[in-house]
Amino acid sequence: MGSILATVGAMIAGGAVATVTVVGLVSSQTSTDGPSPANVNAPVVQYGSNG
Amino acid sequence: MRVAGETRGLTAVLAAHAPWLLAIAWSVLLLGPALAPGFVLSYDMVWVPDLAVRPDVWGLGTSLPRAVPSDAVVALLDDVVPGMWLQKLVLLGSLAAGGIGAAGLVGDRALVARLAAVTLWIWNPLVVERLVLGQWPVLVGYGVLPWVLLAGRRWRASGRLPVRLGWLVPLGSLSVSTGLVTCLALLAVTGRRRALPAAGLLLAGQAPWLVAGLLHAGDATSAASGAQVFALRGEGLLPAPLAALGLGGVWNAEVVPASREGLVAAVSLCVLAGLCAVGVRSALARVPRHDHWALFACWAVGFGLAVAGWALPGAVGWLAAHVPGGGTLRDGSRLLVLCAPLLVVLVAHGTDVAVTRLRATAAGAAVVSLGVAAVLWPVAVMPDAALGASGRLTAVEYPSAYADLRRVVRDDAPPGDVLVLPLTSYRQPEWNDDHKVLDPTPRVVTRDAVGSDALVVSGVRLPGEDPRVLDAAAALTLSTPGERSAALVRLGFGVVVVDDDRPAAPSVAGTPLLDADGLRAVALDGAEPASAPWWWTALLAVAWAAYAALPSGAIVLGVLRSRRSEADTGS
Repeated sequence: MGSILATVGAMIAGGAVATVTVVGLVSSQTSTDGPSPANVNAPVVQYGSNG
Repeated sequence: MRVAGETRGLTAVLAAHAPWLLAIAWSVLLLGPALAPGFVLSYDMVWVPDLAVRPDVWGLGTSLPRAVPSDAVVALLDDVVPGMWLQKLVLLGSLAAGGIGAAGLVGDRALVARLAAVTLWIWNPLVVERLVLGQWPVLVGYGVLPWVLLAGRRWRASGRLPVRLGWLVPLGSLSVSTGLVTCLALLAVTGRRRALPAAGLLLAGQAPWLVAGLLHAGDATSAASGAQVFALRGEGLLPAPLAALGLGGVWNAEVVPASREGLVAAVSLCVLAGLCAVGVRSALARVPRHDHWALFACWAVGFGLAVAGWALPGAVGWLAAHVPGGGTLRDGSRLLVLCAPLLVVLVAHGTDVAVTRLRATAAGAAVVSLGVAAVLWPVAVMPDAALGASGRLTAVEYPSAYADLRRVVRDDAPPGDVLVLPLTSYRQPEWNDDHKVLDPTPRVVTRDAVGSDALVVSGVRLPGEDPRVLDAAAALTLSTPGERSAALVRLGFGVVVVDDDRPAAPSVAGTPLLDADGLRAVALDGAEPASAPWWWTALLAVAWAAYAALPSGAIVLGVLRSRRSEADTGS
């Protein structure tokens, strides 16, 4: 019983991670860009934001 | 029978080469468009076609020598390999070499464990965030780190100095923080018996920044408020210390992948912690005893210093403001590099244990499936790191005006250094896809150049340390262009370059040299270039000789050993 559960669990884990990886890679590269982190109208270009 | 033998042979070959193939594959996927022709210019990462070998790259300028020795190494190497390709070689090489080295840290474990080590070493928040922030010397040091640990381990075991340390130490010491990481890692892994020769080796590797830093000690303190500004930062649901446990927590929210700001980052930390927990017993049983302490010491120092800036910003700020060089600790999350080896070793052992247990009870397909999950999970929880952090890292060409600027400053300008205006550190040019970058102009020109070293973070201004910038700023407040020019000439400036960026720079009187694509250069006659005292040059020459002696010595030692080995074989 334990071995069947382990087999099923491992298959699900592997399948899920592989699927999430492929879908994540594709969708993260095809989604629209977020807003630029910097305000181009600011008088001084800031090094960054820690907010 | 023969077919079975061939299959076994093919499997063995694949197993032997899979870690480095995977390391290269992940590195290429991570960098993506950054590997296209052109320069990757992102925050602190400024590469130019040909960085000139000039006094300030050796540490003889008036600004704090933050880019010593990295700039000098690049200035020399880009005479051999064009700057554009050298940059790609450095980025790709650092990531891939680090991944292969990480597999070597668990070289006695099953293939799946070594592959899991490769993925985690390359695909984690530390790498992505520091890559976008442009801190390439940190990444070079990170790529060298597992090899330093392996070489140190070998030195301890054999008693014979590994030749490769002559290359690894200088490469792992391209910046102050990276040098400190290399020092701690090597001293921790070699043990007390080799501490003295290891310290000598490390001292030679750190000599350029150490001596240059001491020569600038009078200006080497920085604003106390920087500790708060650059402190570890929470990511999404994770408070700062938990983010740091998973190698995240960089101070700059702009460089954090979106996937780190959601629930997935917490899931990622749970998986990491789970695999580490599963792997502890195996690691304790199989990793050499001394290495337990070395890996743990590295982790504890890295995590402790990263968290210190968050937990005790007042104390770290005091150090930065009062102790020369103390500012190194203000962006303590850079030192999380030290945490990576222990995490990777534990995760690899955890993977090994899980797969071994499953192999005993479950079908082969299930074992393969779990192995796939163990190797892929770092990518699954941070897919937006791919392809140059989803397009944040792109390769661009410099406008032709920069080449013109370099030419006129080299050929047509009167003597004197270059002042770059406006006095703001960062630019966000359209030609760089509106990505932020440290002003590239000072690196483009062939003479020592002075630009602002003040920083603005979330509206908080952190003053710079270069006294010459303050003098130039004071000169620019004079009422007429002629008076400004005269004052700048007295400060040793022979050229003023104005980048037509916001805010507008005060005008100066002089002879126009260039006006193209938003870059203007004006020549100021009568300046005498500022030069460092002779004894600075002498001390730095000794420091650089010590640094250069490491790779040179490695070559000589390698040849001698090779000849001795041949002679022994012959006899």
